[in-house]
Amino acid sequence: MPASVSRRELMKWASAGAGAAAVGGATWLVGRDDADRNSPDIAGSNETGPRDTSPTPPTDTAPVPVAANGDLGQRLLVVVEMDGGNDGMSTLVPYGMGAYYDLRQRTAVSETDVLQWTDEVGLHSKLANINRRGAAVVQGVGSSAPDGSHFEMQARWWSGDPMNGRSFDTGFLGRLADAIGDPAAAAVAVSVGSGSHPALLSKKVGTLAIPNADAIGYIVGANEDDPLRLAFQRGYAAFGDARGGGHEELLRAVRAQTVQFAGAIGEFDEEGDGGYPGSSLGQGLRLAAQLLSIDLGVRIVHVPMNEDFDTHDDHPGRHPALLESLDNSLEAFFVDLEARGLSDRVLVMTTSEFGRTAHDNASAGLDHGTASVAMLMGPVNPGLYGEHPSLTDLDENSDVIATMGFDQYYASVAEGWFGVPAGDVLSGSPELIEGLFG
Amino acid sequence: MADDIALTAHVLRRLTFGTHPARIAQFDGSAPTDVIEQLLAEEPLQPEPPELGSDDDYGKMPEWWLQVMCSPEAGLHERMVWMWHGLITTGLEKAYPALVFRQHKVLREHALGNFRSLLQAITVDAAMLYWLDGSGSTIEAPNENYSREVMELFAFGRESGAYTEADVRAGSKAFAGYWVDGDNNDEVMFDSDSALQEPVEFLGTTVQTAEDAIDAVCDHPECARYIAGKVYRHLVGTDADGDRLDQLAAVFADGGLEIRPLVEAIVRDPSFLEARHTRPRSGLEWLIAVRHLYDMDIEWYYLDELGQVPFNPPNVAGWPGDNRWLSAGADLTKAHVASDYAWDTATLDEDDPLGDLLRRAGQFEISEATIAVLHDAIDAVESRRDLSTLLHALLACSPEFSLA
Repeated sequence: MPASVSRRELMKWASAGAGAAAVGGATWLVGRDDADRNSPDIAGSNETGPRDTSPTPPTDTAPVPVAANGDLGQRLLVVVEMDGGNDGMSTLVPYGMGAYYDLRQRTAVSETDVLQWTDEVGLHSKLANINRRGAAVVQGVGSSAPDGSHFEMQARWWSGDPMNGRSFDTGFLGRLADAIGDPAAAAVAVSVGSGSHPALLSKKVGTLAIPNADAIGYIVGANEDDPLRLAFQRGYAAFGDARGGGHEELLRAVRAQTVQFAGAIGEFDEEGDGGYPGSSLGQGLRLAAQLLSIDLGVRIVHVPMNEDFDTHDDHPGRHPALLESLDNSLEAFFVDLEARGLSDRVLVMTTSEFGRTAHDNASAGLDHGTASVAMLMGPVNPGLYGEHPSLTDLDENSDVIATMGFDQYYASVAEGWFGVPAGDVLSGSPELIEGLFG
Repeated sequence: MADDIALTAHVLRRLTFGTHPARIAQFDGSAPTDVIEQLLAEEPLQPEPPELGSDDDYGKMPEWWLQVMCSPEAGLHERMVWMWHGLITTGLEKAYPALVFRQHKVLREHALGNFRSLLQAITVDAAMLYWLDGSGSTIEAPNENYSREVMELFAFGRESGAYTEADVRAGSKAFAGYWVDGDNNDEVMFDSDSALQEPVEFLGTTVQTAEDAIDAVCDHPECARYIAGKVYRHLVGTDADGDRLDQLAAVFADGGLEIRPLVEAIVRDPSFLEARHTRPRSGLEWLIAVRHLYDMDIEWYYLDELGQVPFNPPNVAGWPGDNRWLSAGADLTKAHVASDYAWDTATLDEDDPLGDLLRRAGQFEISEATIAVLHDAIDAVESRRDLSTLLHALLACSPEFSLA
C-alpha cells in the first residue's frame, strides 16, 4: 500500500468494492477498470492518458487514484489560480508534436525535461510530485472568442462565462457556493487574500476573503497578560450576543459568526510552517487545509498563487520555478490532507486566465495567448482529457485554437464533483468532460 | 422622533460622507430640515486635482478622492459624484489614471445637473470608450458592449423589459465610429466611414447617431423611473414602493431629467428623516467614519481589504448590494483597522469618557446593548490612555457604527 493512501481511504476503497487487497498495481487496475466502464470521451482525440498507453505500468510509478467520498455533501473544492496566464505548452509539453520546436525556438522545454505520458505529450519534470500522484489534465481549455486582456479574461473565468466577463453579477464559485452551501454558515467559500474576490460573489450564502490566519489574532487569542487586547476581544464578541432589530440584528448575528469562525480557526495555532513552503501559495494552501478540516461550513477555498506567470520575457528562466512552486506546495497540501483524513473529500482544480502565444518572442518570452491546460487532482481519474490544440492550424493571430470552453471544465466539476446541475451555475448547457470521476 | 442632533447626524451620514466633527459643530442647534436646506444650497467642492504622471498614479487616485471625501466641506454634490461613480462606473484596470480622472471631471460637472447631458457626455468619454469597448467599434462589426450596458446598467435595468436584443444590436450600430487616439492626447475621434450610414429602429424610434440613441434612451419612460429608483435607494437606503417611485419618476421626467429637483423631492419628504439606520455603511463610508472618529489619516489601501477602492469597482456593475458590507470578512477587517489605529486617538474626557466618545462619533441613537458592552469595557483597563484606545476601537466595531 503506498504510504499516500490512508487507512480511512483504504476502508472507503474497500467498501466501494475494490477489495482490501487493492494495493499497488491492483489498485491501479481497479482505477483502470472503473475508467473503462465510464469510457472517457476524449472528444475525437487519438491522444490517450497513461492508463491506456501503459496498461500494466510499473507499480512504483503509477498514479494511485484516490477514491472519492461518496457523500456529495462532504465534498470540498480548492481552486488554485495561476494568475497572470500560465503557458499550457510548458506545463503539458507537446514534445512529440514536430511543430512545437518550430514555434518555440527560444522557449521550448527539452524532451529530457518531460515526464512522457504519450508519444506526443507529457508533464514538465518540475511537476514530478503531481505526476506521481496523478492528475486529470484537461487540454485546450479556453474560449472560442478569446481576449488578450488579463482583466477581461479574468473577469470571464471568475464569473464563469467564456464569452463575456459581464454577463453574471455573481462569481462562478459564489454561485457554486450558493448551490451547495449552508446559508447559516459564517462562510461557504473563502478566498485567500485581502479584498473580496469577484469569483466568490454570491447571493444566498456568505463568502469572504481573509489574507491569512494572522488576521484572526485581532479577534481571538488574547490572554490575561494583555488586558487591553483581551478587553477588546471580549467587547467585540459581546456585540454579537445582544439582540436588537433590523440591520443591527443582522450585524450582531454576523458578529457572532465571525467570532465563531475566528475561534475555530484560532484553535489551529500550529507551530512552524506546517511543512508548507513559505510562498503565498504554500501558506494559502495551509490555511485552506485548516479551514476545510473544521466543521464551519466552508466548502470551497480559492487560492491565488500570486506568482508571476505573465512571462513576457525569459520564460525558460522563470517558468520552471513557477511549476516547481506549484508542485511543492500541492505536495505539502496533499500530505497534510492525508494527515487530516481529508484526501477523499478534497478536489483541487487549477485555473489561469489564458495560455500564452504559440510563438515565442525575441525576448525568449511568450505574450498573452489563448487556450491552456487545466489540472484536477485528488479523487479524480488521472489521465488526459480533451483534445490538444493543433500546433499547425492556428487562429488569425497565429495562436492556438481552444478545443474546449472553460465552462465545460467548470460544468464537469459542478456536476461530477458536487452533483450540481451545470445549468444551475452556468449559462446554457456546457457539454461535460466524461470519465473524470467515479 | 429622535433629538435634533440625532436627525442631523442622520442627514450628514446620507447627504455627506459622515458626521465630521466640524459639521456636527456647524449644525448643532439647527433644525434638521434647515440642515437639509443648507446642504442643498452648498456650492460644489472644487478640489485641487491629484498630481498625476508618476508610477504611483494608481494609488494616488483613490488616495486623493478619499482625502476629498474626508474633508469637512464635502457635501451633497460630492456625495452625488460618488453615487454616479458607482452606477456609471469605470475602473483603473481598463483605462489609465489620467483618462479616469478626465471622466471623473465629467461626473463632477453633471452630478447635480441634467441626466441626459451626463449620459451624452459619458457615451463619448475616452475612459468609458475603453471600459466598455466602444473605442474602435465599427459598423462592419459593431461592439455590443456599451449598447447593452447603457440600457441594462445605466438607464433601464435588466428586469424592466424596456429593451430587446434587437435594440442592443441596433444601438451598437448607432454607437459605432468612435475611437480614442492614443497618439493624440487620447482625444476621442469619430470616423464617419465606420459609423452607421442609414437610420435604424431603436427603442421604437429611428436613430442614426450616438446622440440620437442616448436621446431615445432618455426619452423612454423607464429611464426616469430607473434613475429615480437608484437615487432614492442611495439616499434613503431602501427601495421606493411603487407609488412613491411613480411620483418621483414623474418629478424627474417633468423636470427634463434634471437631477437636483429629484434629489430635493427625495430629501425634503418627511420619510427621509425617518429612514435612519436602514442600510449598512459601505466599506468606504465605514473607513471615513473611523477617520472622523479617530481624527487621523488612515491609509486608503485598507479600502482594498474592505472591498471598496474608489476608481476600482469589482466589475462594470459597480459595487454589489448592501448586504455585502455586513459580511464576516468585512467584520474581520474592521477589527483589524480599528485595532491598528486606536492607540493614537484622543484621550477621552475623564469624567464622561463614554459621552465624549459618542459625541466624537456622531452616535446619538445607540442601543442599550451596545452601551452596556462599552460600560463593561471601562472597568477592564486601568490607564486613561488604554481606556481611550479600547473605547475607540470597540465603538468602531459596534453594530451601530456599521450602519448609515
